[in-house]
Amino acid sequence: MTDPRPVPSAVTVDRRDFIRVTGAGVAGATLLTMLEARQAPAQLRGTGLRMLKWSHFVPAYDAWFDDFAKKWGDANGVKVRVDHIPHLELPARYAAEFAAGAGHDLIYFVGQILTGQYYRNLVDLSDVAEGLGKKYGAWMENAKSAGQVGGRWYGVPDFYIAIPVLWRKDLFDSVGLGAPTTWEDLRKAARLLKPKGHPTGMQFSHCNDANHNWRALMYCFGVKETDPSGQNILIDSKEMREALRFAKAIYDEGMTPEVFSWDDASDNRFLASGVGSWIHDAISAFRTTQDTNPKVFEHTYCLPEAAGPAGLRWNVGEPNVWAIWKFSKNVPAAKEFIQHIANNQKEAMEASRGYNMPFLREQYKKPMPGLGNDSKLGVLQEQDKITAFFGHPGPMTPPAQEVLTTFIVPDMFTRVARGANIEETMKWGVGEIRRIYTKHKAS
Amino acid sequence: MRPWWRTPTARRYVFGYTLLAPAILYVGLLVGIPFLFSLYLSMSDASVGDPVASFVGLQNFEAALENQAFYGALRNTLVFTIGAGILKGLLGTTLAFLLVQSFRGRRLVRALVVIPFTLPIAVSVLGWKWMFDSQFSVVNWALSRLGLIGAYGSADWPVWLGQPHLALFSVMFVNVWRGFPFSAIVLLAGMTSVAPEIIEAAKVDGANFLQRFQRIIVPMIAPILFIGTAFDTVFTLSDLSIVYLLTNGGPDGATEILPTLAYNTGIRAGALGRGAAISLFLFPLLLPAMIILLRTLRRRQY
Repeated sequence: MTDPRPVPSAVTVDRRDFIRVTGAGVAGATLLTMLEARQAPAQLRGTGLRMLKWSHFVPAYDAWFDDFAKKWGDANGVKVRVDHIPHLELPARYAAEFAAGAGHDLIYFVGQILTGQYYRNLVDLSDVAEGLGKKYGAWMENAKSAGQVGGRWYGVPDFYIAIPVLWRKDLFDSVGLGAPTTWEDLRKAARLLKPKGHPTGMQFSHCNDANHNWRALMYCFGVKETDPSGQNILIDSKEMREALRFAKAIYDEGMTPEVFSWDDASDNRFLASGVGSWIHDAISAFRTTQDTNPKVFEHTYCLPEAAGPAGLRWNVGEPNVWAIWKFSKNVPAAKEFIQHIANNQKEAMEASRGYNMPFLREQYKKPMPGLGNDSKLGVLQEQDKITAFFGHPGPMTPPAQEVLTTFIVPDMFTRVARGANIEETMKWGVGEIRRIYTKHKAS
Repeated sequence: MRPWWRTPTARRYVFGYTLLAPAILYVGLLVGIPFLFSLYLSMSDASVGDPVASFVGLQNFEAALENQAFYGALRNTLVFTIGAGILKGLLGTTLAFLLVQSFRGRRLVRALVVIPFTLPIAVSVLGWKWMFDSQFSVVNWALSRLGLIGAYGSADWPVWLGQPHLALFSVMFVNVWRGFPFSAIVLLAGMTSVAPEIIEAAKVDGANFLQRFQRIIVPMIAPILFIGTAFDTVFTLSDLSIVYLLTNGGPDGATEILPTLAYNTGIRAGALGRGAAISLFLFPLLLPAMIILLRTLRRRQY
């Protein structure tokens, strides 16, 4: 007969050990459950998160994003509110929020990267950015410029907008030209097609595209705006003079004079109307043409970037970056959301129809959402290798930002296109840029 | 003996200043303090993201004067303000004379002419942006159909916002389109206050239309005219929206005015101190104009 009394175990568990072991077990299980369900910590429940974004050029993306944010909020008990305003109004809004010390919990820089201006008042997001970098095979080298100041991450890059060449194959064929690969090819096409009623155009005006497009040409011609430290101006070079000379030639030979009045959407309409032979613009122009003029769209192709005289290819992207005010009332939720959207970048790309380009290397695995299965846009799947941003090869510092927002570079190209002497234009432009850098150094 | 503050004179003073207090408070809080703050900013190295600013004296003003774009913006601001002011005056006067006549549907017409002034500025300017579009401009298409210009793509196809003089004219035109109904309404208010007997008497005395306008109407409505002109000058000189939405100062600074330069430098580029200094250059332009207007007005009242 067996003794019914319990046999004392050789291993005894006291109360403290029990609490420690079960506590760790419960915490681990909760964490695993949270990770599985992509849920944020329970402390977020009952809180609110206000975020400010721009009105995306692909309206369907905003609809997707708002729904995505709401679902995340519902799953985590966070009341999410997303405000969208035009991208050009963001800097004024941030200046007001900063002055008031109140506003949105999660903010967004687009095109104008204000990380350098506001970093003292932004939450250090190094843990988030470094975590994402490790998880997704490192950040693109140029991403650091958008998010880092002094080696710390004060902004987390979300995506950038590529600005490739969109060209009409039927028109190129009509003058016996093959697919373009260089700026010289594009110039030749413009020269041959303008007399046939199909000129080209790049903005010589005060708009974002003018800043991006002429910088792309400059960088492809080997121009460096500053050294890698961002402290010393290098734009006063023979490469810059060559780029200006080339721009003058391509304007005279193959552009419409409308370019002096164009805004960011004019070239979209120019291509979609069937007049333009090629433009240098984001793929929103490609999508606009697809939606409004299928016949033209059928013959429209994409070149990631044209090569300069020495074979250099640099596409100038428009970066989009998350940041959190120090006065944010819900830093934990804002951080969680940044990670959540980064973890779902594939869905975001799909929703943007290939417009959003990721900053994280691993997200370039082919086929990329929105691009990989597109016979024309598939060429953009290696865009990370040729993308630079303003200030190149230096970072997007406050003086580089001021040079951008005061349109000095497009104005240099405008002056030369209108017949100004290259040396006089260089003297004026470099003088203005030096003045800006000197003022920033002094302050 | 009653203390001074209980005398009827003192009570009148207290009552008067009490009535005046809200206006003084309003001007002090919403005009005085921001003005002093912008003075402080203009003499500091303040930037949008740095709350700690140090005193730099007149360096920001010197920086503005060293900036070539500043001189272009100053010239454009003067051309814009004076040109638009003259055009609004002429068109406003003409419209006021038309609207003062009695005709069927006058009330409806009077209501319709103020629409440009009452529409949200962003909406109306975006409408004009489309009408000035380089490719799809309805103005160009109409001119082309009338045979006044060639077809799209021809050398005489105007690029309204792309050719420097045309671009400045276009932004001025939109300002005039938006503002001249205001001038007309101000004039109309004045003209309706002139007693018809006086005009009739002048007619009997043989005064022609211009003489009646110059010798009777203008002197009688001068106070209203001065106030209207003062308002219009301030609105035009500080008008950022039209230029910002139509051209953002381009091409190559052809339409850059001091408000857009100040905004792009101070807010978009983040250099608050330099932006404030540029915007304060409007002050010496406005101050003498306002002093002259108000002194003339005062003299006329006596």
